[in-house]
Amino acid sequence: MRLVLQSEIKKLQVNCKETFHIFLNELKVVSRDRGVVVIFILAVLAYPLLYNVVYKQETLSKLPVAVVDNALCHESTEFVRHLNATPELNVYGTYPTLSEAREAFALRQVHGIIYIPSDFARNVNTGQKATLSVYCDMSSFLYYRTVLQGTNHVVLDLGKNIQLKRLSEQGIAGEAAQIIAEPVPYNDVVLFNETGGYSSFLVPAVLILILYQTLFFGITILAGTAREENRFHVLVNTSEHKGKILRVVLGKSAAYFMIYLAWSIYVLKVIPVLFQLPHIGNSIDLIGLIIPFLIASIFFSMTISVFLPNRETGMLIFGIFSLILLFLGGVSWPLSNMPGFWRAFGWIFPSTHGIQGYIKINSLGADIQTISSEYHSLWIQTVIYLFLCVWAYHWQIKKSSAKARLRQMASRKKELTIDKTAPLTNSKKDHTPEA
Amino acid sequence: MPDRKQISPFGSTLRRELARMKSRPMYFILTVGIMSFCIIFFISLFNEGQLLKMPIGIVDHDNSKISRQFVRNLNATQQAKIAMKLGSYQEARTEMQKGNIYAFVEIKSGFAENLQANRRPPLTFYINDAYLTAGSLLLKDITAMSLLTSGGVQQQILSAKGIDESLISGIIQPIAVDTHMIGNPWSNYSYYFLNVFFPGVLEFVILMTTVFVIGIELKEKTSRKWLRTADNNFIIALFGKLLPYTAMFIVWGFVCNIILYGFLYFPVQASIFRMLLATVLYVIACQCVGILIIGILPVLRDSVSIVMIFGMFGFTFTGFTFPIEQMNYPVRIFSEMYPIRHFFNIYTDQVVHGVDFRYSVVYYFILLAYTLLPFLIFFRLKKAAIYQNYPIK
Repeated sequence: MRLVLQSEIKKLQVNCKETFHIFLNELKVVSRDRGVVVIFILAVLAYPLLYNVVYKQETLSKLPVAVVDNALCHESTEFVRHLNATPELNVYGTYPTLSEAREAFALRQVHGIIYIPSDFARNVNTGQKATLSVYCDMSSFLYYRTVLQGTNHVVLDLGKNIQLKRLSEQGIAGEAAQIIAEPVPYNDVVLFNETGGYSSFLVPAVLILILYQTLFFGITILAGTAREENRFHVLVNTSEHKGKILRVVLGKSAAYFMIYLAWSIYVLKVIPVLFQLPHIGNSIDLIGLIIPFLIASIFFSMTISVFLPNRETGMLIFGIFSLILLFLGGVSWPLSNMPGFWRAFGWIFPSTHGIQGYIKINSLGADIQTISSEYHSLWIQTVIYLFLCVWAYHWQIKKSSAKARLRQMASRKKELTIDKTAPLTNSKKDHTPEA
Repeated sequence: MPDRKQISPFGSTLRRELARMKSRPMYFILTVGIMSFCIIFFISLFNEGQLLKMPIGIVDHDNSKISRQFVRNLNATQQAKIAMKLGSYQEARTEMQKGNIYAFVEIKSGFAENLQANRRPPLTFYINDAYLTAGSLLLKDITAMSLLTSGGVQQQILSAKGIDESLISGIIQPIAVDTHMIGNPWSNYSYYFLNVFFPGVLEFVILMTTVFVIGIELKEKTSRKWLRTADNNFIIALFGKLLPYTAMFIVWGFVCNIILYGFLYFPVQASIFRMLLATVLYVIACQCVGILIIGILPVLRDSVSIVMIFGMFGFTFTGFTFPIEQMNYPVRIFSEMYPIRHFFNIYTDQVVHGVDFRYSVVYYFILLAYTLLPFLIFFRLKKAAIYQNYPIK
């Protein structure tokens, strides 16, 4: 009984030692490969900085607009003056006719036209509703939003003054007028991303994708290289690791995990603080999410990498997936409005849960219980992809040993016919000592 | 074996490339697979066009006839759908953090009573702008709805005070805004996204393909054979190699235009032929950038990484999400390097704004000017092809 236990412990020790050996070896491989270093180190370091520099401006400010004032009354000039004073808009010029303003629009000098018709003055003076027209540049929705926001601001402000004046003309003033002006005062409270900033909304999702995609491409490059350099174009050297697939998978993934755990702190915690992105999440909750996210992503990438024959294959085929995964993450286009098929497709990728989980913790201040659906999905993925990964490696090894046998048979035939001229090539890799 | 009809160096290079295209699945994936997938993906993703019926929550402490009416009205609006009724603010906030609702409205108890007694009961909406698209649309929707509710109350009070019917609307809303959205009158998201994503994906795929088809010759050390086939004329070698892809991607570009304007009936202000002309120039410009990249770094895997980094920023630097002119100066200069930036300018002019052709002429010329880029690295790339003196891994 004791003997059995002892031998079991010994086995476990050997297993651990060998896994650790694979782990160290993988770190060495990573550090020696220029391409992988660029992706694992340089890209992860530089990408978040670049994105933040590009999207530094959160909102549009002082967007140039044209004004066509055909009313030329006291109210319209005041309107234009107020428009120019908003943080959103800048009156680039006033034009006598709409067609001249359109010329400025065509030349991209302005991104909106505010047209005040001549009946505006009459309507204001006779107590009627006065209408003005706004033309928006739809080439970017941010133009449209900004022009409307700025105009509505001023319209509501001036409208209120006119309203109170008209009410007092009717003999209604003081509190009674206030009640009529605003019988149901409403206030909108933006709970998260209070300034409505563009980068605060988009960049957190991009940060997760940077981790995910660099991990994916790095792993596919490593696998592709292993296959290119191997004698039989296979991923794992058969003689070395036969029957120890789990150890290989765990050892390698431990190496990637260690590198990326450190990076996660930089990308997901330091960068948001540095660039004033939302960062109201609890660090413990964040780590609780990051661990399954990284492990699931690593196993997922290792599974896919088995099927990619060359170094560059992953990037060539899946390069565009950065964009597709961003949309599947459900940030720009809400998940509630995504067709069911694509939602299900998105579930397959750890990035989808990573993006949602990270935004919910980091930008909305959720805790791990609140995001339990993402959290559990990631752990389920971890198990599934570990299983698939081991299976894929196993399949690969079976294929490679079949190849090796065929090669051996072929060379033996050759030997028989050509009379032993060329000696059999031996595997150059040093064997790990068998326990 | 001399043939009766001697094949020209150009013809044999072309033939060699066509044979290579059949040799491995990667060529098919690059030229057909990725584009097909992305077109299907984006069309079906933005199938709705507008974001309709997004889930919101209601915290109704009042539960009166008036508050229930308000909730019903809210549910009837275009963008919002009441997904859940919640007991408290805290509960609603948690649902928002879970991502189940993008906004919620809180109606305090005594709302109806206070309204009838003219005590101005407030309505509060909570919006989540971490999902900016959903948040800003819902804010617009809910604001409009509550203005309507206020308007109803105002109408009642003013009528009761005996104010002339003709003056009431002028008091309730002294100034109205009539919005014209040029080129996209329904603020349709699929018009907005697809018009840019299709050429964006095309640019990315062209860059990858160009870098791959040249780079693989260097990597596998077949570049000398390639040159020999072209009778050692590198210009012929390049043309013969890239022409099949030029043709294929121009077809893809036309297919995109036909899908957008012919099949999905997206609004296009000017003649479609201006876009087709732009597409031809755009495809060639993208190929030239591809040649430039592989010429600067004649190592397949490095060039692929560069395309990866360079190409992904293409979508950002188009300027359709966040306008370029509001970014800082170095970023603006960098954005000019992308063919899609100039293609986007043509698209804005011709498809969205519908302005005269002369306003866009300059962008057509810029696209044409990209054909000069390969000359910068012509000899470098030729040398790399002959001496094969760059590392292959």
